[in-house]
Amino acid sequence: MKKIYVHPLPVRVWHWVNAAGFVALIVTGLQIRYVGVFDFMPFRAAVQWHNWIGFVLIANFFVWLGFYLFTDKIRVYHPELNPMEHFRGSMRQLQYYGYGLFKGDPNPFHISAYRKFNPVQSMTYQVVMMILVPVQFFTGVVLWDTRMFSGVIEFFGGIRVVDTIHVLIFIFFVSYIIIHAYMGALGHTPSAHYKAMFTGWEEAEETGEARH
Amino acid sequence: MDPALTRNGLENRGNTARLGALIAAFLGLAAAAHTVVAAAPEAKAAAQTVAKLSDADNTCLACHSFEGMEKKFASGEKLSLQVLGASFAQSVHASAGCAGCHADVDVAKHPGPAKKFKTAREHSLAFTGVCRNCHEDKFKLYEGSVHEKLLKSGVDAAPVCTDCHNPHSVKARAALASISGVSCRKCHEPIFDAYAASMHGTARGKLGHSAAPICADCHRAHDIGFAGASDRLKAACLGCHQGVADVHARWLPNAARHLDVIACAACHSPAAERKVDLRLVESGTQARVAEGDGNAELENRLAAADKDGKGIDAIELWNVLREINRDRGEGRTTLRGRLEVRTGVQAHQLADKSQALRTCETCHRQGADPFQNVSVSIIGVDGRPLRQEVQKEVLTSVLSVDSMGGFYAVGGTRIKLLDLLLVLSVLGGLAVPVGHQMLRWMVRRHLRLQAEAARAAAGAAAGGEASGGPSGPGASRAPGK
Repeated sequence: MKKIYVHPLPVRVWHWVNAAGFVALIVTGLQIRYVGVFDFMPFRAAVQWHNWIGFVLIANFFVWLGFYLFTDKIRVYHPELNPMEHFRGSMRQLQYYGYGLFKGDPNPFHISAYRKFNPVQSMTYQVVMMILVPVQFFTGVVLWDTRMFSGVIEFFGGIRVVDTIHVLIFIFFVSYIIIHAYMGALGHTPSAHYKAMFTGWEEAEETGEARH
Repeated sequence: MDPALTRNGLENRGNTARLGALIAAFLGLAAAAHTVVAAAPEAKAAAQTVAKLSDADNTCLACHSFEGMEKKFASGEKLSLQVLGASFAQSVHASAGCAGCHADVDVAKHPGPAKKFKTAREHSLAFTGVCRNCHEDKFKLYEGSVHEKLLKSGVDAAPVCTDCHNPHSVKARAALASISGVSCRKCHEPIFDAYAASMHGTARGKLGHSAAPICADCHRAHDIGFAGASDRLKAACLGCHQGVADVHARWLPNAARHLDVIACAACHSPAAERKVDLRLVESGTQARVAEGDGNAELENRLAAADKDGKGIDAIELWNVLREINRDRGEGRTTLRGRLEVRTGVQAHQLADKSQALRTCETCHRQGADPFQNVSVSIIGVDGRPLRQEVQKEVLTSVLSVDSMGGFYAVGGTRIKLLDLLLVLSVLGGLAVPVGHQMLRWMVRRHLRLQAEAARAAAGAAAGGEASGGPSGPGASRAPGK
């Protein structure tokens, strides 16, 4: 096993703040939407916490965005432009998760500092970070002050429309965060990726195929 | 005093003087024509106050100040013709004098034959035109009011001038002066009593705070509209309670939105039951849509939408909105939801602000009281809101995203389909690790069995060497961990 530094400090800070924030937003979001079903805290406190945590995560998003915009590490988010290549890579990865992993086959994807996402991760994170998270922040800010953003709300068809978008993405993130946490435990040991997300260093198999 | 009244009053004084001379000449005749015996005290009272009035008016009062002077109608009703000189002398009409209003009286023939009024009401309605001679401005306000519209629609009991103002004792703003004398109570007793017991009524009545509002302060006097037909009432609240937006914003998230969508009484009348009124409005201006506006028979259409008589359901509401938009112009008409109290009495039971609702959970939970009673409304041809019952499930239907995109209360009107999706999301999320681990177990079991079978086959082959050769591809590799 060789060690590769794939998660720079700003990314690690962003990731864990985001992770804790997402959990807190899900908990307070559940409380806001399901008074009576859940009673963790008073409704008003849940709304206030939800708003503040939301703003912290928006600021945190710009830590992530700033890091990738102002360093060459943005290459990790460059999409595979050849659809057939992307499809083949995704199939290989899914076949690994669904079968090869159990057999003890090596991961078909080889991590490097500039290519740290396998094709499935790459597609998922692009959708999450460039569409879903920004849309969720946008709808959240709009719902935070409906008078200030009344024009925007009307443009999108009304407060119920904006809220429904916010809730649909929330519903997606609930399952996403469960699956994300589980797949994080599918490294060569269950804690390998977790450790790497704290230290920055991933342990990679020495295959000689890793591209830098 | 009203400038118009003053001007007209002065003009009338010339007529009064001329008429007064004639009346004086016929004093004996007039007195004899009535079969009224004056009691000494009344006569004394009249004599004490007439000095403030013109001679002509005193002449009239010489008869009309006596108790018992009355007119009989065909219906058997009686109308008192007594005018107390003291009250009249202090009224705003004193300057106009008797003849200012009773110019039709022919003193030569007075009292003359009775006019053919069947009822006292008919008489009052006929005399309303006299008020207009001086009070044209008030009449213009009255026209288009709820009272005038009711009168025009054939409701004879709808009030005219004399129902609120006694013409022989009327003082400036007298109708507003005292809580006990408010004329509105005659018709709106339950509502008035609720008001009188409210913090506004208590402040004005018992505590004597003249700044505390009475009926006309919120509803206006002559141009009174249908409560709930416009945002006028809210403007009345905010007119006195300035800075309310800031006060609410200190503790209430999205305070401005709450103030836009919720009637003040919904929280400040804590004992009230609440409801949702889905108002049909113009998409752009948010003005309420009225019957006959835009070639759509809205009232009939809304009534017809409720096919089973149980209230309009989500699909029916969605369909009728589509039809209305097809007729009135695509996208022109939309629904604006408002949270209100259910009755006029409840709307007036305003409590001290310390008792106002501050608990978010009162509304922001499934099954909350305001969302159990829903209506859709338009403004009818007479200016009154016309409401059609709507099933409460429309608020939680997925169709509401389209039909009432502008109305949403977190938790209280949440869409049920989204609840189902959330449950599926959680189950789906949990199914991935569980399913993946099961798949792992099955794959490994399969591989193990395959390997065992291969080993057995290899063993068998080794035992019977005659067959010879490798046993198969699975034999060469053991499953991973």
